[in-house]
Amino acid sequence: MSEDMGLIVKTMARATIPLIGIFGAYVISHGHLTPGGGFQGGATIAGAGVLFLIAFGLSEAKKRYDHHVYSALESLGGLVFLGAAMLGLSVAFFYNTLWRKGIAFAGEPGTLLSAGYLPIMNLAVGLKVFAGLVSAMMAIAVYRRWKE
Amino acid sequence: MSALPFLIIIPLLGAFSMPIISLFGEKARSAWAMLVSALTLGVASKVFYDVWSTKQLIVYTLGDTTPLGKGVNFPIRILWEVDLLGALMALIVTFVGFMAIIYSIEYMKHDTGLEKYYTLILVLELGMLGIVITGDMFNFYVFLEIMSIASYALVAFRNDTWEGIEAGIKYMFVGSLASSFILLGIALLYGQYGTLTMSYLAVKIAQNPTLVSKVALGFFIGGLLFKSGAVPVHMWLSDAHPAAPSSISAMLSGLVIKVGGVYALTRIAFSIYATSISIKTVGWIIIFFGCVTLIVGNAMAVIQTDMKRLFAFSSVGQIGYILLGIGIGLTAYGTKVGDIALAGAIYHIINHALMKALLFLVAGAVLHQVGTKNLNELSGLAKKMPLTSFAFLIGAAAIVGLPPLNGFASKWLIYESSALYNPFLAAIAVLGTAFCTAAYIRVLFTFFGRPSEVVENAKEPGKAMIIPMLILILAIIIMGLFPWQISDKIMLPTVDMIKDQLHYVVAVIGGA
Repeated sequence: MSEDMGLIVKTMARATIPLIGIFGAYVISHGHLTPGGGFQGGATIAGAGVLFLIAFGLSEAKKRYDHHVYSALESLGGLVFLGAAMLGLSVAFFYNTLWRKGIAFAGEPGTLLSAGYLPIMNLAVGLKVFAGLVSAMMAIAVYRRWKE
Repeated sequence: MSALPFLIIIPLLGAFSMPIISLFGEKARSAWAMLVSALTLGVASKVFYDVWSTKQLIVYTLGDTTPLGKGVNFPIRILWEVDLLGALMALIVTFVGFMAIIYSIEYMKHDTGLEKYYTLILVLELGMLGIVITGDMFNFYVFLEIMSIASYALVAFRNDTWEGIEAGIKYMFVGSLASSFILLGIALLYGQYGTLTMSYLAVKIAQNPTLVSKVALGFFIGGLLFKSGAVPVHMWLSDAHPAAPSSISAMLSGLVIKVGGVYALTRIAFSIYATSISIKTVGWIIIFFGCVTLIVGNAMAVIQTDMKRLFAFSSVGQIGYILLGIGIGLTAYGTKVGDIALAGAIYHIINHALMKALLFLVAGAVLHQVGTKNLNELSGLAKKMPLTSFAFLIGAAAIVGLPPLNGFASKWLIYESSALYNPFLAAIAVLGTAFCTAAYIRVLFTFFGRPSEVVENAKEPGKAMIIPMLILILAIIIMGLFPWQISDKIMLPTVDMIKDQLHYVVAVIGGA
């Protein structure tokens, strides 16, 4: 039995994986404006990873997956979130100093570059969720054998 | 600026950066874990000293300087509220966590996947610190889940052993069910009162004590008794503690069941419900479970042949004493007897965390050096591993409650108050201790027998495993030398602060 799925599925996957990725990126980056956000967008992009794995097979996915990179990306997401939360530490933990002081992301409410640390946190959470879900999925996919 | 947020920031930073740090190799990884937990211990000491020296609650709001919203006089933000009990728990959590991390450098040397191990152990510490400092119900739930999920993963960490997986699955199913009880209770309270802040919830429930609030309290007590391993629902504990790596058993038994169980129970009962419902009933329910736990836990410890399983059942038994103290503290609320009982319970939380951590570290050293924890094979260990056996002797004597050691004072407070409150309860407590003594004397006699074949070639573990044990012995002995000073200077003020529900509320609402 071959590992990958048929030609139709693979071709469709080639077409849809970028679309899923772009939509996920949209959900993440507009997290402070529209429904969705870091978790939802990150899970959507990880869905593109799942599609890649089952359409093209494990060996193809293994070539493009480096455990260390994803592990580092995941912790980077966490660190960025923590860093954003610490920006206003002179007032309080999680104080939205970017927005309150108008330093960055301080545009008109409703525009993309508004809401202070929220877009940064959404990006961080999206990165973390994506990297974490893909790592977990790959770890399960490569898990030894069906029986001893 | 308050040191309080660093209690969360530092372990969070340590856990998040662990995968990156471990790219630099094994040494960097363990050094980073030690550094992070040492810094956290420093911050916790600072917070404890601040609260203890001023006898003032620390209220810390996330996101702004005041918890109150603009134009409204109720709290809208997540806030952390630390009284002396919270600060004391934070101190003991970081202390035992630090010891466990030093210990695991040598103990976990032969295992793989250690970057995940250190991440998880820091996350476990983070979850417990969050529980003890939080003043928000949902924040409490989130930290409870952080703690629980980290401990599920750590119990099943050695996933090539069947018992690790079995215990992990059992713990996860039971623990998730218990967490969902707590979440359901929180949802009911939010639906009824529209707030999640503990102190404002206390006001709202006092104004309008509905059936819903009682049902929610029932869910909380149910869920938290699960988490603390009280008797009808202790079955996960006796499997999880033996199967986990010993450094983790030390944290689970010393900290997780106290922070996620009895501490949270105390906080919810005293800070939220104390003035609004009949706490006498609640107290008797807790006393009932405490007495059952005390007898069953200690009695089951007597018949075990597996060393760590014996310690696990003994933990169940000791939780019984703590629950008994808290229960009497609730039923005799506002009287001298109630104060003494509650002080004894809190004192016993701290003492038992120290001695059970020591005992599990001893069990880990034996398992690491000899390769078995079956007591039938371990006779004569005292000749080959004198230091470890001495550590066991101290831990066992402390847990039974021999006078020069720390277990005496806390148990004495519980005996005294239960005898004053109801002699029948004192009789049950003494019966539990009789079983406990029997269990530990059995182990002691095994240690001091003729060396068996298995222990023939045993020798002492290395420095990284000995030093945490020595520090814990030192702590137990020093705390044992000044029992009444500690009780008067720390435990009784703690009780005063817990009982002062008005202050707990006013510190947040600000008299509005």
